[in-house]
Amino acid sequence: MTDLTTNFAGIELRNPVLLASGTCGYGEELAPFLDLARLGGIITKTITPQPRVGNAPPRIVETAAGMLNSIGLQNPGLDGFVQDKWPYLARLQTEIIVNIAAPTADLHREMSARLEDVEGIAAIEVNISSPNMKDGGMLFGCSPTASREVIAAVRSATRRPVIAKLTPNVTDIVAIAHAVVDGGADGISMINTLLGMAVDWRSRKPVLGNVTGGLSGPAIKPVALALLWKVRQAVDVPIMGMGGIATAEDALEFLVAGATAVQVGTSTFVEPGAAADIVAGIESHCDNAGIAQMEELVGTLRV
Amino acid sequence: MRQALPVVADVGARVSSTTQVADAFFQTRLQVRDVSVEPGQFVQLRPRCLKGTYPYLRIPLSVSAVDTERGLVDVLYEVVGPKTSALRHVCVGDEVGFLGPLGNRFPEPASDVTPILVGGGIGVPPLIYFGTTLRTGERWDPILVVGARNAGKHLPDTLLESASADVRRATDDGSLGQAGLVTNLLTEALEAGSAAPVVYTCGPHAMMASVARLCAERDVPCFASLEEYMACGFGVCVGCVVERADKESQPSPYGHYARVCVDGPIFDARQIAW
Repeated sequence: MTDLTTNFAGIELRNPVLLASGTCGYGEELAPFLDLARLGGIITKTITPQPRVGNAPPRIVETAAGMLNSIGLQNPGLDGFVQDKWPYLARLQTEIIVNIAAPTADLHREMSARLEDVEGIAAIEVNISSPNMKDGGMLFGCSPTASREVIAAVRSATRRPVIAKLTPNVTDIVAIAHAVVDGGADGISMINTLLGMAVDWRSRKPVLGNVTGGLSGPAIKPVALALLWKVRQAVDVPIMGMGGIATAEDALEFLVAGATAVQVGTSTFVEPGAAADIVAGIESHCDNAGIAQMEELVGTLRV
Repeated sequence: MRQALPVVADVGARVSSTTQVADAFFQTRLQVRDVSVEPGQFVQLRPRCLKGTYPYLRIPLSVSAVDTERGLVDVLYEVVGPKTSALRHVCVGDEVGFLGPLGNRFPEPASDVTPILVGGGIGVPPLIYFGTTLRTGERWDPILVVGARNAGKHLPDTLLESASADVRRATDDGSLGQAGLVTNLLTEALEAGSAAPVVYTCGPHAMMASVARLCAERDVPCFASLEEYMACGFGVCVGCVVERADKESQPSPYGHYARVCVDGPIFDARQIAW
């Protein structure tokens, strides 16, 4: 039997498969479809200091081998999260990573400090990469200086592992990776969605209410793998890879390219139990290949 | 008003038949065990041929009939793109991923009202299921008002008449029934003075907006089944939202934009910012 346990920046994961932020809400909606305790962990939908109503619809459109979204971080805000969403998450027998975003570095620090009082959070993932947030997100993640500043602010306010979630919509992702490590990130997760647009030529209007959105799904897997491999060679912190993972084989490809763990995102929309199937698939593939531990795979790409 | 809903499941269904019922409209009968669907609820289907990467998302479809004893669920759809085309071509006996039932149901009316069901185009199927259910037990005699682009797009009489003994038809081009909009027929029905009318509507957004306005002007209760671009269907992606009219009084983060898939698809029409 393959030992799937994975240590990611000090967090002991049952296996290397987590649910990606923004695709699993705060856990509850998925409970009818899979045993969340079978997963390595859950990354919450992004929370912001104040509640956000999100962007005007339409927010979703299917595209070739994927979809665009412009949800706009609709969420109950930090207080609403702690009061209404955390009690359910706290009972789950899996690691819970809380994803945060805010309009300033100071507000990131305040949120992180506030979350220090909440027992049971495994790590903080910092969303410096949402393409759907006009007052934060990708605004920070496109600049090495701003990325470093935001991560350093979170770092200064928490004892927990800090994971920076990177955007692919940059000229040089390696520069951003170096900046977040300089800022004190214990890990990196990548990639967030690619900026995209859909057009209705008859009405001559964008399909999304927000005009542009984030592209996800199998369409972006090759982009994610290439960027992951580049960043893997440049920094020493562990990486959670994501982008179009739909099968156990997809997940194994990310591990080989250098991911210590993976996140399953858009696939959950299509097959709500996808992440649990991927765990089972990794186990059986590794058993068959005689792989005893996950470390035997991670970053073993032969170039 | 809200009744307990059946439990959602992600199961395999088998196609038992697919028949063409109107111009580009098909009815697929699915054999699915131990799943019940209430009128107004919907399902997310995934034909096996879609289990690649394009098309990627499931097909959200309303249900037009259910036979719980025999384990049959009918979906009725217009073939408009690659996904509905794929569903149409699934062979009899082949499996289709079936996620459902999803969403809420049409609220059951009080016993002394006249339900008026107003459907347009591909919005008619859930009203057929609802009308059929209302007629069982003979407690209600619903009026069914249906609109379509032309005669060829109208669903067959046998289907419509299972939902109502009083079917009123309109077409955009006058090729069947009254020429013009379905809302003209609704106005006539409301002005004829039916006892305590309650309107249930499903169809294109502009049609439902007109229906909602007509009802609001006359203080007639109206329930609308909404449609939006949808990814998951079970509330987690927060993609299929509609703007609420009463958002100021809604304390929850889903109060401003409500999710069609879990907060609906059936809404009191007064709650929606049309």
